[in-house]
Amino acid sequence: MSDETEVMIGLETHVQLDTDTKLLCGCENEQDSDPNTNVCPTCLGHPGAKPRLNEKVIEEALKLAEALDCDVNEDVFFSRKTYFYPDMSKNFQTTQFELPVAENGNFEISLEDQDIDIGIKRIHIEEDPAKLDHVGGDISNSDYTLVDYNRAGTPLLEIVTKPDFTSPQEAREYLQQLERVLEYLEIYFSDTEFSIKSDANVSIDGGNRVEVKNITGTKEVEKALSFEISRQKQMTARGGEVEQETRSFNSDMGSTTSMRKKETEEDYGYIFEPDLTRQELDEERKSAASEKVPELPRQKFSRFKEEYGIADKLIESLISVPAMADDFENLAEEHEPELVASWMTGELKKTLNYNEVSYEESGVKTEWIEYVLELLEEDKISDRNAEQLLRDLVEEPRGPEEIVEQEDLLKAEDDEVDQVVEQVIEDNPDAVEDYNSGEEGAINFLVGQVMRQSGGKADPNTAREKILDRLEG
Amino acid sequence: MSLEKIVEGESEVDEKDFLQQLKAADEKLGFMREIVEPEENGNGELNGVPVVLKDAICVENVTTSAGSNIIEDYSPVFDATVVERLKDAGAKIYGKTNQDEFGFGTFSTNCAFQTPKNPHDETRVVGGSSGGAGAIVAAMDSPIISIGESTGGSITNPASYNGVVGLTPTYGRVSRYGLISYANSLDKIGVLSKNVYGAAKGLEVIAGEDGKDQTTVDKKVPEFSDLEKTENLKIGIPKQYENLEGIEEGVRENFEESLETLEGLGAEIERVDMPLLSADYSVAAYYVLAMSEASTNLAKFSGMRYGMEKDPEEFDGYNEYFSAVRTEGFGEEAKRRVLLGTYTRMAGYRDEYYIKAAEVRQKIINQFKDAFEEYDVLVAPSMPNIAPKIDEAESMKPSEVYAMDTLTVGPNLAGVPMISVPNGKSEGMPTGLHIIGDHFDEETILDLAYTYEEKRGESQ
Ligand SMILES: [Zn+2]
Repeated sequence: MSDETEVMIGLETHVQLDTDTKLLCGCENEQDSDPNTNVCPTCLGHPGAKPRLNEKVIEEALKLAEALDCDVNEDVFFSRKTYFYPDMSKNFQTTQFELPVAENGNFEISLEDQDIDIGIKRIHIEEDPAKLDHVGGDISNSDYTLVDYNRAGTPLLEIVTKPDFTSPQEAREYLQQLERVLEYLEIYFSDTEFSIKSDANVSIDGGNRVEVKNITGTKEVEKALSFEISRQKQMTARGGEVEQETRSFNSDMGSTTSMRKKETEEDYGYIFEPDLTRQELDEERKSAASEKVPELPRQKFSRFKEEYGIADKLIESLISVPAMADDFENLAEEHEPELVASWMTGELKKTLNYNEVSYEESGVKTEWIEYVLELLEEDKISDRNAEQLLRDLVEEPRGPEEIVEQEDLLKAEDDEVDQVVEQVIEDNPDAVEDYNSGEEGAINFLVGQVMRQSGGKADPNTAREKILDRLEG
Repeated sequence: MSLEKIVEGESEVDEKDFLQQLKAADEKLGFMREIVEPEENGNGELNGVPVVLKDAICVENVTTSAGSNIIEDYSPVFDATVVERLKDAGAKIYGKTNQDEFGFGTFSTNCAFQTPKNPHDETRVVGGSSGGAGAIVAAMDSPIISIGESTGGSITNPASYNGVVGLTPTYGRVSRYGLISYANSLDKIGVLSKNVYGAAKGLEVIAGEDGKDQTTVDKKVPEFSDLEKTENLKIGIPKQYENLEGIEEGVRENFEESLETLEGLGAEIERVDMPLLSADYSVAAYYVLAMSEASTNLAKFSGMRYGMEKDPEEFDGYNEYFSAVRTEGFGEEAKRRVLLGTYTRMAGYRDEYYIKAAEVRQKIINQFKDAFEEYDVLVAPSMPNIAPKIDEAESMKPSEVYAMDTLTVGPNLAGVPMISVPNGKSEGMPTGLHIIGDHFDEETILDLAYTYEEKRGESQ
């Protein structure tokens, strides 16, 4: 019976945008600086200071709107959401209320070969409040709390979905694929100090809806929702009723705890933000933004599949790093796509991950990869040494010619191998005799000897052929 | 000594004398929040001109409290844009003038520090909320540019009660950066001075687009102080203003005399029906919008970053702490407006009050736009009365006080420019003629006010 539980999940996701400056002032949008260094009268809410809108944020919202297939509204204006909390210098948050920048979109995700449509209710722009630093504990037991206003005014895009998820896996997959889209749009990067946070609404079997807050990143959502769903299931199994409430996800414990029961709906007393003028989003602005939307991951996936005919896994791996996917396409013009893809997503990516360095930042050049590919194609390097070469390129970036030379990674020349073969046959008369007397396995021993003496440079197949030639001839 | 002569470098204000007079007058009338010795500023067209500013306008390192106890010792770290521009022009800043707390008032009787007295009769109020800003102009012999701010009539009102000129520019003409907000969509920084020239000169210096205030408009600032005689204008009188109940007899007589003077200047005067200017619509819409915005602006004064400090250990959570600070720090009228303004924007009431008021406002703007299709300017009495006695004013009910604003809230809601010029006396107290113009057409109202001022001067 429990397998047939009907689960409904909707997500509200806040994405911190990686803009140069904050949403409403000229301060650097940099949270990792020393506390309270990226601040000014406006983001500190000084009496008399006024906001001014960072137009770049609108452009980024329009890009996302296009990517998520949303309708863009004609006007952009902002509202004040008033509530009292120590992380807000003004005690109101500048956000969008009546009219979000975009609404009614759709995001197609794939999970286990299935395509699932997730409805997007709205995308709106708002400012992040300051960061509270609970010293010596968490909010309930810390000695005292410090406020860092570096984060006050970081631009956020809030993306609200319809309750279209039917499992925690879908929610996780959505966040991960959304994150990839954001990276493609170059408005958010997962390897920076900026983050994605979500609140989830969960109900089972048409019961009361529970809001789970404080889900950070893209992976934890699965854990948080799985816990919450089984909690709700147990509750109903015991004959209880799920209460409408707000719960908080505690990542360390992997569980959700009650924050507040359903009371009266919070009243934020929204008014229009009178300091920011209403502006029209004309066609020109919309199309300027949509021109900046690149080919998105899903489209790229289908195209790669069709154009290059390589395995899904390889494509997945390539498109997860947009720069790598681009370089792949350049290399695949001259080289076998399967070969390019498997080397890029294989040893190269493994080494990058191991060294925790991104492809873009690693300093590895496309020409270097091409050089390795050529060596492989011309059979001048063994697979093992090619792997070594790629590792070296990542760990100590310099020209591959130099590495090959210094580490003597190329395959041995023919006469060099001939000499080794000659030597091995001379040194191992017993094995030769075994072979001659019909023990074919003895050849493997001899090949192994050749490999060992050549320091891995000899190609095993070549060595085998040469030994056979010598013994038969 | 006239302001024009100082500007043209033909005469000079002696700083010491001025300071002495200022202190003496303030001792008697209490219109200054803080007096400062002027610093050497830039060199420009206001060289040596004495300037004071309404308390709500930030001056770096000068106490700026907006008339409120809750930020009694607040010292801004930056200059308001208007202050920057005045300093650059060489003006001498002598301090800040008293006002109603955050601009919440009509008589400056809601000032946390003191109630200024009217220079014409010390038992009477100076008007509000830029009351100190009006009184100082009347009280000082020397010319002065006094920077005020109007949300619903706070420049016209004290100009009228003190017998000085008060100019409220078009919304968007002057940067509000550095003004402690009352109601951001209505707040306008303007000028009070002895004559039309002073107001025009002041506006010329402070006006113009400002990157720090998105609501300022990218329009060339005309040379306002290049005043010209203007005749034969087509003038409208809103019926709802002329027929307003409660206009005092003396005020009415002076207004009729003004109309005769204007007719003598070739004006064609007609009555125009503007139904939404009646108190039922305009005063209600004004107070709903102003209080809604004000209640959000005041949220920051909670004792967290701004507002008085108490020992947090004594409180059970930040809500209790914030409440205690706000209960003690805000005056009665501020609390009234926070409560009413919070109510009018709450879910369930918001559509009935806040949204409806915004719709009425749009209709009022349309009525003004229609009127200015027909007429060059509109005129009315500035205030329905002369400055009341301080004790009378203090015993009025809030609703009675709010009704005093009927003549001024309409044009303030519409964001059109207006100027009040003295037009006579009643019971020994000054009254004002209100001239209202179309958006960004300050030139016409200034020229007419100047022409009227000259004509009246000749006849006296
Ligand atoms: Zn800032």
